[in-house]
Amino acid sequence: MSSTLPSNLHKEILITGFGGQGIVLAGQIVGKASSLLDHNESTLTQSYGPESRGGYCSAQVIISEKTIHYPYVRHPDILVCMSQGGFDKYGASIKADGTLILDQDLVKVEEVKCGDIFAIPATRIAEELGRKMMANIVMLGFFTAITGAVSLEATRATVADSVPKGTEALNLSAFNKGYDFGLATLKGRRKKAAGKKGVGA
Amino acid sequence: MDKLKIVLFMCNWGPHAAYQALQDSGADIPAEVRMIRIPCTGRMSKALLFRAFEMGADGVALVGCEPGTCRYGSGTAVAEGNVEDTRGILDLLGLGGDRLRLAMFLPEESQPLLAFLQDFYKVIETIGKSPVSIPPREAPPAVTREMVSQLLTTHDIYACQDCGKCSSACPVTLAGKPFSPRAMANAIIGGSVAAPEVVNDVWSCLTCGLCYDRCPSAVDFPDFIRDMRHIQKVCGRTGHEAHGGFFQSLMRTMTSPDLKIRHWQWLPEDIQTDPQSKTLFFGGCAPYFDTYFKSHLGVQTSGILVDSLRLLNFFDIYPAILSGERCCGHDLLWSGDQENFRRLAQLNVEAIEAAGVEEVVTACPECYRTLSHDYPEQGIELKFKVTHIYDLAEREIDKGAIGFEKLDRNLTFQDPCRLSRLEGRPDLPRKLLHRLQPESFTEMKDRGISALCCGNCAWTGCDSYTKTLQVKRLRQARETGSNMLVTACPKCQIHLRCAMEDPFLGDEIKMEIMDLTTVLAKTIRWE
Ligand code: SF4
Ligand code: SF4
Ligand code: SF4
Repeated sequence: MSSTLPSNLHKEILITGFGGQGIVLAGQIVGKASSLLDHNESTLTQSYGPESRGGYCSAQVIISEKTIHYPYVRHPDILVCMSQGGFDKYGASIKADGTLILDQDLVKVEEVKCGDIFAIPATRIAEELGRKMMANIVMLGFFTAITGAVSLEATRATVADSVPKGTEALNLSAFNKGYDFGLATLKGRRKKAAGKKGVGA
Repeated sequence: MDKLKIVLFMCNWGPHAAYQALQDSGADIPAEVRMIRIPCTGRMSKALLFRAFEMGADGVALVGCEPGTCRYGSGTAVAEGNVEDTRGILDLLGLGGDRLRLAMFLPEESQPLLAFLQDFYKVIETIGKSPVSIPPREAPPAVTREMVSQLLTTHDIYACQDCGKCSSACPVTLAGKPFSPRAMANAIIGGSVAAPEVVNDVWSCLTCGLCYDRCPSAVDFPDFIRDMRHIQKVCGRTGHEAHGGFFQSLMRTMTSPDLKIRHWQWLPEDIQTDPQSKTLFFGGCAPYFDTYFKSHLGVQTSGILVDSLRLLNFFDIYPAILSGERCCGHDLLWSGDQENFRRLAQLNVEAIEAAGVEEVVTACPECYRTLSHDYPEQGIELKFKVTHIYDLAEREIDKGAIGFEKLDRNLTFQDPCRLSRLEGRPDLPRKLLHRLQPESFTEMKDRGISALCCGNCAWTGCDSYTKTLQVKRLRQARETGSNMLVTACPKCQIHLRCAMEDPFLGDEIKMEIMDLTTVLAKTIRWE
């Protein structure tokens, strides 16, 4: 499958969660995939909040066709939240037409002004696959399918390259699971928009 | 062109007098018509009517008495039902229902009878010769000691330790029948293959496989029985077919290569299929079952095929279907007719491969087992893979964004022996069952790999003991407190519904039945 990236690509992405979830690694993979394989520019900044301030950590990634002059993300186009703390802190910063992506079992959203919300039980899926710590990779697969900001091939290849040796196959299956979930989610929305919820005419 | 063969089944009473009058006056009865006297049109079962076509008849006329003049009261009404259903079967087979006609005459109506016969002859002449051609059977050899001992060795029946675990699990034995797989095996080892009790036992087994599951020596009774039946058949013995052997006769007829079968002509229009697809949906014989049982059980097993296709469409899969699809042959194989089984298998595989198909999807556990397991085992290689629709559905649903609407029923589940036991996959339907949103789901006492049979396999050996077994099974289902029995095989549904018709037990064993595929299709939703 070859995916086509949007032209005039410029996406400011904020990935948040708590320490140990592999948030920064996820940010690195997005950035690397976009710059090294999709041939764009990218920047990554990371920040950790101490436990006393809610235990969040975040990765700010910008990917763009043009040179990036300012590496900090104030108002993300895409906000990925893998913890409630991360959402509580950054939820309000999302752009009005931005895309919010959640781990549905870990984050409850009251009200937020944004373009669209997509949710996946990434941690649960990772647990079912046998390793909770792969939740970030499941999320990456979902992110790739939903946003199309990075190409499938580039992200897959970067995942294989970035995870510990010997765990590539397992991580790729986690990635695929998330990706399939993303495709299914989009398909479900299309069907519903066409007025087709269930089986039949 | 060969001469046409037109069979006239003529009731002894009313119309025969008219026929005799024609003969006496030397009337111009078409020479192709061969008359067979019968005691009453009501005695001509669907099996007998159809048998004439299996044997190469080009047309069959059933001629009886006007309603009200039937000597036995209900004969004509019964004949009307039988003829209508058999015509439906002939239509599905592509032979054409017009080849079978029912007519009624009073004793003095010899001229109208003559007109009828001449007209029927013209009709058959227009339709032409029947494409049914079944190779003649070779003269049966006698059962030899070698044939039997070879089977005993192949299936390692000698490994039996005489522990009796099989008999204590066998549902037929437990239904009270003087039947024991162990004793039968011993008798066959002892050399009494031809003894009436042994022959009887060979046809009584349900090939359900429960004994095999329990046997510490892994003696595979179902396979052994299957091959013992083959020996019996090769040697010219008759089996204990239910429904007068109608279904076996139907399947043998389907081995005629020139039949232009119209398996899917009834399919609703909203179903989307694609002749170019590399995925083929193999439906199975449900349309024949529904036609056969229309006026009796009112079964709707074709709904399973429709719902399977709707489910595939839901997943954006638009499969090919084979208009000339034939029976997979399961019931021929399991009732001892390996020769015709292979013919069917060959024709199916050729048609599937000619359609350029890479994957065959089926919702019938028997088709699934037969295509994926028995075809290769019986020497018919496949270039395509066979997938049960539950595997496909599970895979698609597992991708996410699909959920199920609430279902206001309390469910229990009847395992299909071919999938749950013979293929060892009781978990597969359960994965899907657990995704559903019913009020409750309660397993029966005997379930999964230990489940009780629905009471029949391969339309063979249906009797009062298997009926007892079915009643026991339905009581188990009711004991769960559920109000819907979910099935996963069209035949479980047919046989269990049949048992529910019992007039004496009435509502005690009645229960709503729905196939799992239908439940899935009814409640699946994009989320
Ligand atoms: S369970 Fe097996 S070993 Fe035991 S009596 Fe039956 S066939 Fe023989
Ligand atoms: S296969 Fe089933 S019916 Fe046949 S002997 Fe074994 S348990 Fe009894
Ligand atoms: S249980 Fe009923 S439907 Fe099944 S074989 Fe016996 S008579 Fe026929």
